[in-house]
Amino acid sequence: MTESNNTLGTQVGKCPLSRRKFLKCLLAAGAVATMPCGLLRPMSSRAEEIVYEGGYEFFRNACPRNCYDTCSIKTSVKDGVIQFIEGATESTFTRGGLCVKGYGYTRRPYSPDRIKYPMVQEGRGTGNWKRVSWDEAMERISKKLLEIHDKDGTLLGLALSKYSGNFGITNYGVEGMMTSLGYTTRLTGTPCWPAGIDAQNFDMGDMWCNDPEDMVDARYIIAWGANPAWNSVHSVKYLYAARDRGAKIVVIDPILTQMAAKADEYWQVKTSADGALALGMARYILDNDLYDKDWVAANSIGFNAFAEYLKNNVTVAWAAKESGIPAESIVKVAQEFATAKPATIWIGYGLQRHVNGGATVRAIDALVAMTGNVGKTGGGARYGHLQTWGFNYHALLQKQPEGAKGVPGKAEVKGDFTFTSDDAAVDYSDRILNINKTAQVILDADDPPIRLLWVSCKNPFSQDFDRNKMLKAFEKLEMVVTVDQFFNQTVEMSDIVLPVTTLFEEWTINASYWHYWLSLNEQAIEPMYEAKSNIEIAAALSKKMNELRPGSCTFPTEIDTKEWMIKEFNQGVYDLFGIKSWEDLRNGPVKAKMHPASWVDLKFKTPSGKYEFKSELAEKWGHKALPEFKAPREKYDKYRLLTPHSKFGIHSQFINLDWSEEFNPKPFVYLHPKLAAEKSIDDGDTVRVSNTYGEVIITAKLSTVVPPDAIVMYEAWFKNNPYNVQNVVDDTSSDMGAFKTGQPGVAIHDQFADVAKV
Amino acid sequence: MKKQYAFYIDAERCIGCFTCAMACKNQYHQPETVIWRQVYPIKAEIYPHRERAFYSLACNHCENPTCLNVCPVVAYSKREADGIVIHDQEKCIGCGNCIRSCPYGVPRYNPVLKKAEKCSFCWQRIDAGLKPQCVQSCPVEALQIVDLATFDKPDAVQYPPGFPKYPKLNPSVRFLVPRLPKIIGREDI
Repeated sequence: MTESNNTLGTQVGKCPLSRRKFLKCLLAAGAVATMPCGLLRPMSSRAEEIVYEGGYEFFRNACPRNCYDTCSIKTSVKDGVIQFIEGATESTFTRGGLCVKGYGYTRRPYSPDRIKYPMVQEGRGTGNWKRVSWDEAMERISKKLLEIHDKDGTLLGLALSKYSGNFGITNYGVEGMMTSLGYTTRLTGTPCWPAGIDAQNFDMGDMWCNDPEDMVDARYIIAWGANPAWNSVHSVKYLYAARDRGAKIVVIDPILTQMAAKADEYWQVKTSADGALALGMARYILDNDLYDKDWVAANSIGFNAFAEYLKNNVTVAWAAKESGIPAESIVKVAQEFATAKPATIWIGYGLQRHVNGGATVRAIDALVAMTGNVGKTGGGARYGHLQTWGFNYHALLQKQPEGAKGVPGKAEVKGDFTFTSDDAAVDYSDRILNINKTAQVILDADDPPIRLLWVSCKNPFSQDFDRNKMLKAFEKLEMVVTVDQFFNQTVEMSDIVLPVTTLFEEWTINASYWHYWLSLNEQAIEPMYEAKSNIEIAAALSKKMNELRPGSCTFPTEIDTKEWMIKEFNQGVYDLFGIKSWEDLRNGPVKAKMHPASWVDLKFKTPSGKYEFKSELAEKWGHKALPEFKAPREKYDKYRLLTPHSKFGIHSQFINLDWSEEFNPKPFVYLHPKLAAEKSIDDGDTVRVSNTYGEVIITAKLSTVVPPDAIVMYEAWFKNNPYNVQNVVDDTSSDMGAFKTGQPGVAIHDQFADVAKV
Repeated sequence: MKKQYAFYIDAERCIGCFTCAMACKNQYHQPETVIWRQVYPIKAEIYPHRERAFYSLACNHCENPTCLNVCPVVAYSKREADGIVIHDQEKCIGCGNCIRSCPYGVPRYNPVLKKAEKCSFCWQRIDAGLKPQCVQSCPVEALQIVDLATFDKPDAVQYPPGFPKYPKLNPSVRFLVPRLPKIIGREDI
C-alpha cells in the first residue's frame, strides 16, 4: 500500500506556525530540526497572542466518548488548524458548552505525546519503539494472521478487545474487520452497566429513560449513586431548574459527592446496601397506603407477591440497620417521594457494579413503579436508553471469507450496543468470551489459544480488572496490536501500535445513551502525521491480506470515511429525528421526535406487557422473581475500596494531556481523617493501598467526603505515572448482565483493601 | 455609575467542574503555568468538606487596577466603554511589576514569550457580540457577566469569606456563597 500523503511535511505547509501551541508541540516533539518546510524558521521574534479574531471556518463534531452528555461540538478552524471549540448552541442539552474534558480536545490532535506513526516495539515494556511504514506494519500483522490460520485452521486465535473508547458509529467497523477476516474470538459483554440493563429489562422489558431535559418537571429527584456534577455536567441545570420550581433534590451515595454537596439532602449510605434502603422505603409506602393503587392495578403484575415479600421480610428498622441511614430519615423521604408527583430517581451506574447490583436496581425500579411514576413526564427510573441508535451498522456488518471456519454451530452474540441479529442458520460462529474477565479468559483459552490480541477503542491495562493477572495473560499472547493515540499502559505492553485519528480527523455520527440528540461528526482537519481511522486501518489490513493471499479478507480495501458515515443512515433515523438527509445535521444537532416520558403508552416490552414486579424471566435467568434483597459481597480486607471516575477523565482518556495536568497533576487516595488517624497517616503522606491482588503507592489526601470505612481512589491514567487502580480490583462478577449483554457485569465497587504509611 | 463588566460567581450553583478554566485554555492556548482562570477549592475552615465548594477566579478587572498603575510602559489600559482591563503584550517588556504588585496574583509570567499576561475578559469576543469563553462554557450558569452599573442582587457579596479584601482596588467581581446540604451520616460508624 502507499504511504499516507498526510505526512508532517504536508501538514506544515498548510499551517501558519506562529501559533504558540503549534510551535510548542512541534518543538517538544523534536520535529523542528527535521522539518522540510521553511515556514518554521521565523520563530516569531515578536510576541503574538492567540485571540478571538473571527473569520473561522466551522465544523460540526461530537464527543464520541462513553459519556452521558455526548456533546455536540462546534469547531473553529483557520488555515487548516483547530483554533478553539465550543458546544453547539443548537442543542438545548449542551447549550453552547462542553466540559473540562471536552475543551481539552483542542489540544489533542496536536499533542506532542501523540502516537504519530505505526511503530514496533522490540520487547514489550522496553520502550524500544521503532517507526515502521504502514506497509510494514500491515505486512507483519497479516503474516501473523496467515500463520495462525495455517496452524489452527481457523482465526479463533485472533481476539478483539474493544469497548467504548470511541462510540462513533463507523468505529463498529473494527468488529466488521474481524468478521471480514473469519471467525474470531470476541470479548463480549460490558464492564459498564449490564446488571442494571438486565434489571430494567426484567421489570419493564427494556432500558429506556425519560428525556433528561424533562427533569425540570420533577417535583422530587433522587440521584441514587449518580454524580452528574462530575459525570454529566449538562444535566445538572435541569436538577437546579426543578429545584427553582420547588422540587427537592436528595442524593444517596457512599461518598459525599459534588452532586451531594449541591443537594437539599444527602444520605451517606453504606456501600452496596442501597437495595435494603429502597425496600425499606417501599415497605413504609405500602404500610401507609401511599402507593398508586390505580397505576399498579392497571399496569403491573406481581404487586401482591411483592407486597407479601415486603411484609414478611422487610422493615424500616431492618433497612436502617443494613444501610446505616436512620429510620426517621427513611420514613420522611419515603413519604415525600410517594406524595410528590411526579417524582423521579436517577440510578447511577456505580450503584450496580456490585454482586447485588441488578437486584438493587430492581428494588429501586419497584419504588418508582409502585408510586405510579413510570411513564410520566418528570418521573421515571432513569438509567439509560438506546432508542436513538437505529443506524444501519454498515461498517459492522461484514461477511466472513468463503470457507472460513470457527466454532461449530451458532453462537448468539449479545451486547449492550449490539443492534443487529441474524437468524440465519450457520455452520460456524465466533468464540464468545467474557470481556469482564479478559485476563482470565486469555489465560484459560485453549484449542486454539489466543495468539494475537487486537486492541482498539479500549485500554485493557487501565479498564480491565486485576492488572497483575493481565500481565500474566499478555505473556501468553504471541502478538499484541493496539490502535491508539497515546502511549498508554496497554500500548507499553504491545508489539505494534497503530496511530488512530481523533474526532476531528474522521467522519462519523454520534448518539447518546442518555439524552435524545443526534450529532454529525465532520472531518474538520486533515489527519495529523500518519493517523488513520479504524475503518481505514481495516481497509489497509484487508489490502495487505489480499495481496499476500487473495480472498483472505472481505473488507473493502479503499474507504472514504464520509461515504461510510452516510451509509449508516436510513429512513428510520431520518423520520425519528425529523430530518430529510444527514446533511441537515450540518445545521446543528437534532433531537428525536419522541415523547419526553419513556413508557408513556404504558405498553411494556415484558412477556406480560405490564410492569413486572414479579418476573418469571428473571427467575429463568437464575435470579429471584421478585426484587428481593440480595446480600453484599463478603468483606475480604480491612476497608471498602472504591475506584470511581474522576471529573477530569473518562477511564484512561483526557487526564494524560498536558492541558489537563495543569489542573490535575497527580492522583491521590482519599481517606477520612478518622481512618487516617487509626493508621497514623497525615495529609500528604505516601501510603500503600494493598490487598491480595496488588498494591498502589500514592499520596494521601484527608477528606470528610469519603466514609470512615472506605479507601477512595479515582480511576485514571496519568502520563509518566504507574498509577493504576486495577492493581487492587478483581474481576468478580455482578449478579446480572448475561440476559441482555451476554455476560454478567463486574463488581468493581465490591473491593476491599488495607492502607499503611510507606 | 459607568458601565463596568464584572464576573458574577455563584458558588452556590458552582460544581467545581473546571470547565471554565479549560474553556479558557481552549481559546488562548496558554503555555504551561500560565493560567488565566483557575478554580480554587474553598478552605475547610470556610466550607467544611474539602473540594466540594469553589470560587472560579480570573482577573477582577478592578476599578482602580494595580497592574495598570505600576506598569512602566503603559501596557495596561482600562476600557472606557465597559471597564475591561486590557494588557497589551506587544508593549509589555516583561519587567514583572504587575506580577509582583497585583494582590490577587492575577498576571502571570509567560516563560515562552518572557512577558506578562492575564485574562482579557475575552474582549475580542465581547466586541464580536459573544460571551467570554468561560462564561459561555459554564454548564450551570454559575459564572456570568454582569454590569455593575445595573447589577442589583441583594444576596451577592463582593468579598466572600476566603476572598481577599482590597477596597482601594474595588475588584469588579461579585459572589454568591455556597451552602451545605442537610447531611444524614451513617449510624453504623
